[in-house]
Amino acid sequence: MKNLTLTTSVAALVLAGGAASAQELNVLTWEGYADDSFIKSFEEASGCKVNATYVGSNDDFAPKLAAGGGVYDLITPSIDTTQLMIDAGFVEPIDTSKVDAWGDIYQKFLDQDGIQEGGEYYGVPYTWGSIPFMYRNDAFDTPPTSLKALWSDDLSGKISLWDDKSALYVAARLNGNMNIYDLSDDELAAAQAKLVEQKPLVRKYWATAGELVDLYAGGEVVISNTWGGYQSALLAEQGIEVTEFIPEEGAEGWMDSWMVVKGTPNTECAYKFINMQLSELGQCGVANVNGYSVANPVAAKACMPPEQFEALHQADPDYLDSLLLWQPLGERLETYTNTWNSVKAQ
Amino acid sequence: MMGGTFLSRHSAKLVLGIPILWIVLFMLVPYGVLLTYSFWIKKYPLFVPAFQFGNYWTLLTDPQYVQVLLRTLKIAALVSVASLALAYPFAYFLVFRLKNHTIRVFLFMGVIAPLWVSYLLRAYVWKTILGTEGILNSFLMNIGIIDEPSGIFLYNQFAMVLTLTYIFIPFMVMPIYTALEKIPGNLGEASADLGMGAFATFWKITLPLSMPGVVAGFTMTFCLSFGDFIAPFLVGGPDGQMVANVMVSQFGAALNWPLGSALAVVMLIIVLTIISLSDRFEQSGKVEL
Repeated sequence: MKNLTLTTSVAALVLAGGAASAQELNVLTWEGYADDSFIKSFEEASGCKVNATYVGSNDDFAPKLAAGGGVYDLITPSIDTTQLMIDAGFVEPIDTSKVDAWGDIYQKFLDQDGIQEGGEYYGVPYTWGSIPFMYRNDAFDTPPTSLKALWSDDLSGKISLWDDKSALYVAARLNGNMNIYDLSDDELAAAQAKLVEQKPLVRKYWATAGELVDLYAGGEVVISNTWGGYQSALLAEQGIEVTEFIPEEGAEGWMDSWMVVKGTPNTECAYKFINMQLSELGQCGVANVNGYSVANPVAAKACMPPEQFEALHQADPDYLDSLLLWQPLGERLETYTNTWNSVKAQ
Repeated sequence: MMGGTFLSRHSAKLVLGIPILWIVLFMLVPYGVLLTYSFWIKKYPLFVPAFQFGNYWTLLTDPQYVQVLLRTLKIAALVSVASLALAYPFAYFLVFRLKNHTIRVFLFMGVIAPLWVSYLLRAYVWKTILGTEGILNSFLMNIGIIDEPSGIFLYNQFAMVLTLTYIFIPFMVMPIYTALEKIPGNLGEASADLGMGAFATFWKITLPLSMPGVVAGFTMTFCLSFGDFIAPFLVGGPDGQMVANVMVSQFGAALNWPLGSALAVVMLIIVLTIISLSDRFEQSGKVEL
């Protein structure tokens, strides 16, 4: 037993040594959120070295953190996943007094339940955008305006949909259920039936941003949902003309927040980093790299050219309000995921 | 000198001990962890320890799991049959018909060489061959068989079987080639002396003696395809989900490690059953030469 304890503590020491030491920040985030174009100058100014690990989906945060702590200092889950991070005890409260630009952030984001618990904030809003739909210009004489296009026989074999529970949100809206984050079992079953009906028309459910770009570039699909501003920009670089649109049935919105992993020894660097990300450097940095809208309109106004400020809907609260901002599904997450899985199983 | 005697006294233990330790640490312990998780229960936000068979019950009663399992078995069987149909004649040709040793080695290596190329790359290449604007479509259009590109080659189960067959066929060729090569040439001559035709010789002598190779190859290609999750991801369509993909989703999106573990245990049992069946089959067919 004594030996075992010794071995365990040696192992623990080795593991702890492998984790972030002072002056080093390990962030688990989306591609572009720790881009060299703005991280380099932060590293020089702050003396904090940034190591970024990238996730491909919001579903990657929990498994990575559940597998053992001590590795990451900061994470950036979307607003449908932040609550899970809090409930699972992966993150610690934010000292909002240490966040310089806290008062500049859109009030709508600070009002979100998903980033607070018991009177404390756990997330610092950073970026936002929509999940619009996108079509290839040369495939349509009359541009599509409704989700019905994704169920039309004429486009059979040319349709793609994100391989994600959000497929249910899409189908539910087509069914007329706008309460997409609070669907009853019957409404979920109806959405499932709608997706099964669509399945023969689907070429491929896309799983990663790069895959969707390949599907358009290879002439495989002509219509799908997308991460607003991101894949369309990558396709434009390849000379493929696509147009994003918000269908009559509405679109979802997302918002990503910085969260501090519980027990991080690098609090000082973490707050320096968050402050940089909310400043002009970080806000325009990420907007330029990913094409996303940002959470601090004051910084955005200062560093963006007016056209970009306009294009990213930074001064357009109606646009933001028109989006069905993702919500945590809580205990319903399992039911949603299983319903989507059973669509794919058929 | 102390060290020397220590080493000589304990060398046997070290030689055996290190692999045993390795097996315990990296195989038995993880299997134990997996088995333990499979009795736990999903409870928001994560999962809690328990001892219950609910996860296994879900796998049996929710039709989606049986559906995916049957599809996976079907795909694995098709891949194994296709590999066998291609690999056997090829190996037979190499061993019995090809007289030139250099060409034989060259052709054999030609089949084995792709194993040195990244699996992911090999699967990915099929996308560029089978795609709507891919090589196959351009070729068919050039020779005038079709007028416009067809989507029937990619993103369906056909593409999955094709890709997996290509990827796993070396595992079929190698054991069959070895089995055929071991058959003494004088058996064929004796058979001819006794008035047997080429076909009867193949049917009564060559095929039975090569069965161990066939069984080994079949088992390997079957088990490898059974656990694959890259092919459905890269070249499979909406109806291409296999067991391993469901498992990925249980450990990720659904955050239901207990159910994922139960699925892994079921998969492990299926694979072990296949291996032990094939082992028995191989033993029963063994002939002393």
